[in-house]
Amino acid sequence: MSSRRIAVTASRTLTIAAWIAGIAVWAALPWLLGRGSVDILVFAGLYTIAGLGVSFLLGQCGIVSLAQSVFYGIGAYSTAYGTTVLGWPIPACMLAGIVVSGLVAMLVGTPVLRLSGYFLALATLALAIMGHVLFLEWDWLTGGTLGIGGIPHLSLFGFTLNTPFRFYYFIWPCAAVVLWLHYNLLRSRTGIALRAMRDAPSAAKVAGIRVESLRVRTFILSAVLGSFAGSLFAHYVSFVSVDSFGIDRAIGFLLIAVLGGARSISGTVVGALFVTAAPNLLSRLGEIHPLLFALLLIVAVIFLPSGFGGAFADLWRRLGGSLRPTVKDGTP
Amino acid sequence: MVLSLWIQAILSGVTNGFVYGLIGLGIAVVFRGARIINAMQGDFALLGGVVAYLLVHNLGWPLPAAFLAAMLSGAVCGMLVERLLIRPTARRQGTDDSYLLVTLGGAFAVSASVLLYFGRDSYVLPGIGGDQSVDVFNAAIRVHALALIVIGTLVVIALRWFYRGTRLGQAMLAASIDPDGAQTIGINVPLVRTLTFGLGGLVGGLAGMLVTPLINLHYEMGLLLTLKGFAAAVLGGLTSPFGAVFGGLVLGLVESLAIVTVSSGYKDVIAMTILILIMIVMPQGLFGRRGRMGG
Amino acid sequence: MTEAADDLLKVRNISRHFGGLQVLRHVDFAVPERSITGLIGPNGAGKSTLFNIISGFLTPSEGDIDYAGVRITPLSIQQRSEMGLMRSFQTPQVFPDLTVWENLIVGCHKHGRSGMVEGLLALPVVWRERRAASEAAQRILEDFNLGAVSGRLARELPAGQQRIVELARAVIARPRLLCLDEPSSGLSADEVQDLMATIHRISKTGVTILLVSHDMELISVCERIHALCFGEIIANGTLAEIQAHPDVREAYLGIQ
Repeated sequence: MSSRRIAVTASRTLTIAAWIAGIAVWAALPWLLGRGSVDILVFAGLYTIAGLGVSFLLGQCGIVSLAQSVFYGIGAYSTAYGTTVLGWPIPACMLAGIVVSGLVAMLVGTPVLRLSGYFLALATLALAIMGHVLFLEWDWLTGGTLGIGGIPHLSLFGFTLNTPFRFYYFIWPCAAVVLWLHYNLLRSRTGIALRAMRDAPSAAKVAGIRVESLRVRTFILSAVLGSFAGSLFAHYVSFVSVDSFGIDRAIGFLLIAVLGGARSISGTVVGALFVTAAPNLLSRLGEIHPLLFALLLIVAVIFLPSGFGGAFADLWRRLGGSLRPTVKDGTP
Repeated sequence: MVLSLWIQAILSGVTNGFVYGLIGLGIAVVFRGARIINAMQGDFALLGGVVAYLLVHNLGWPLPAAFLAAMLSGAVCGMLVERLLIRPTARRQGTDDSYLLVTLGGAFAVSASVLLYFGRDSYVLPGIGGDQSVDVFNAAIRVHALALIVIGTLVVIALRWFYRGTRLGQAMLAASIDPDGAQTIGINVPLVRTLTFGLGGLVGGLAGMLVTPLINLHYEMGLLLTLKGFAAAVLGGLTSPFGAVFGGLVLGLVESLAIVTVSSGYKDVIAMTILILIMIVMPQGLFGRRGRMGG
Repeated sequence: MTEAADDLLKVRNISRHFGGLQVLRHVDFAVPERSITGLIGPNGAGKSTLFNIISGFLTPSEGDIDYAGVRITPLSIQQRSEMGLMRSFQTPQVFPDLTVWENLIVGCHKHGRSGMVEGLLALPVVWRERRAASEAAQRILEDFNLGAVSGRLARELPAGQQRIVELARAVIARPRLLCLDEPSSGLSADEVQDLMATIHRISKTGVTILLVSHDMELISVCERIHALCFGEIIANGTLAEIQAHPDVREAYLGIQ
């Protein structure tokens, strides 16, 4: 056996061991933590799904989206209105939210995604403001500031997911599936086309990539994720009001992407954990926590341009470099 | 009765238009000099308003002195932003997005500081001429609003003179159009960029103390002001102070006419729709030339 | 002169102005199938504008482009690409944050059909396409001597090699007409020799080549050359004929 083969085997064993250990820690966490902390972890799961939409757009398409709060809201209100007012079954409500979000993303995205740079980012911010105002004004649908209460909890195999503890074991597998799907997408024909058009749109067009349509489709995908997370959020907290879908939420989702490192899929989890846990830890310091949060954003943009995900990847490469064989040919 | 309602709407539209125009002015000044969209412009105004409020209420300063101090604090804040946020980002090859994010972070920092110090309440600053109003065809306009319009116009004229007639103004233009060329003819480009942000902050601080007697001072007001100011600036072509004020007027009038005809709740929806439409349909603004980099 | 029916590309009476500036004036020429045709002209002659019109980046103010017997003037860049009309760029446009290998895989984009949903679910069709693309890429890597750098990010390569990557990416897409925009700029004399050999090799596989250049050495690979000057075709013929043409001597060689 060559030393190279040994190194490969060692590295593979190490990876498998890390996965098993990670899953064990994940499964054990709710037993070790208090209710409050588990609740935060549930939100981290929800935000991973919504944030992944933003992160994928930013990292693979180069589109800054501040409009995710709108789709998060559409998902939440669809399920809230559908279950409490119309009496629809839960899956139908979630599907309705996804369809409406997808349609809105298509109708809005087709003109808006022709913009780029500052214009695009500010246009999505304007969309977030419009969404927030409409959620407030259409109180016949959304209940305005009073909101909608009494949204039923999800139940699965006879278990009602009515505690943070139970929801935890539901939301994270959901998040894992969504992450896995995006990991697949990234390596598919479409995923490589996305990265190609992000880096050199003219050459991508010559290669036959339909740049405009692909941008819109990715935006729709991102909106679908936002809507899905919003629906789950509504079923988890069983009460939604317009306060949950403001500009701060949109910025929070973007922050997940920026902090996690938009180009890494798994970085989204780190970003989401940070965005949910940090304000909670900081809030013990009183009203100063929004300020610390803002300063963190600034520091992250300036010093961690590829986010925690990128920084971890660098570290991992440096640590693993001694162990792994250096692959010279790029054949996957 | 109906006529006076319309006149009232036009008067408030013009007043709001000048408010947006003043914020847009600052955005145009910074974009003209540094090719960066400053998402903190509305928060410069918030800061100017806060400084003026503190000086008038807590220290009993006379209004004009407080106004001057608010402008200066805006200018200092602008220069600090360039040194502490923009320059380090530029050193790491910042993109449009990273400049926007870093100034957005700055905007949250200002807003959060105001929240920390002031809390969630709103505050009102006394205006020029107190609460007095003038009657125009049975509609009322506050003396302060008239003052705002006059001062706003004077600022546009002053900026025009500044860019045309002063060495510093021309250096700012040169430094943004061709930084390397400007450096070789002896312009200190980094200093000029700092001063550009200082000028943006100065205009922002001025806007803040002119605006706060009309809209309540509140920690969250910055971002929406920035967006409306941005809409005004884009309408005006993004680099022209006159264009920004004109764009602000168009925006303000459309908004207030929409309030009369539709509903006040949809004011921001209409403004944001206009912003998006302008960017798509007329990225060069009303007076802009082709070929400007809009983004 | 070949039969008109054998012309793969026909540029018919193309004019283009930007505002008041007339860049192209009634340009007419044809590229016969399987030929290597050259387009020369001094800077500012309108070569790049013409190239952009042929590949669909610009629309002409007047006139039409026919390709494979079809009027393609209203078609998009992507539709032209689907028909086998590919181009390179004056400054090589590689995908900088993709590896050389991935750059080639992007070149195979047109051969696949799988969309976003198939990609998300990693359906078998995605793997089939990937395998087909990998095999094609492996062959092209060898043809273009890129094996040693296949895992490197494209932006890490020197300019000459980026040009080769761009060319390889165009060839892997199986073009019918390959338009090369100043492919020798930034290359050393040795690299230009290699490039000429490569162009000959591509041409042998049946690909029609339209070459824009002002490099007289490179242009010698062309069977027929058209000279563009101030937006007008002033001469055409073999290299020797072009070099002997008095108008060309004055307008182009005189300047050199």
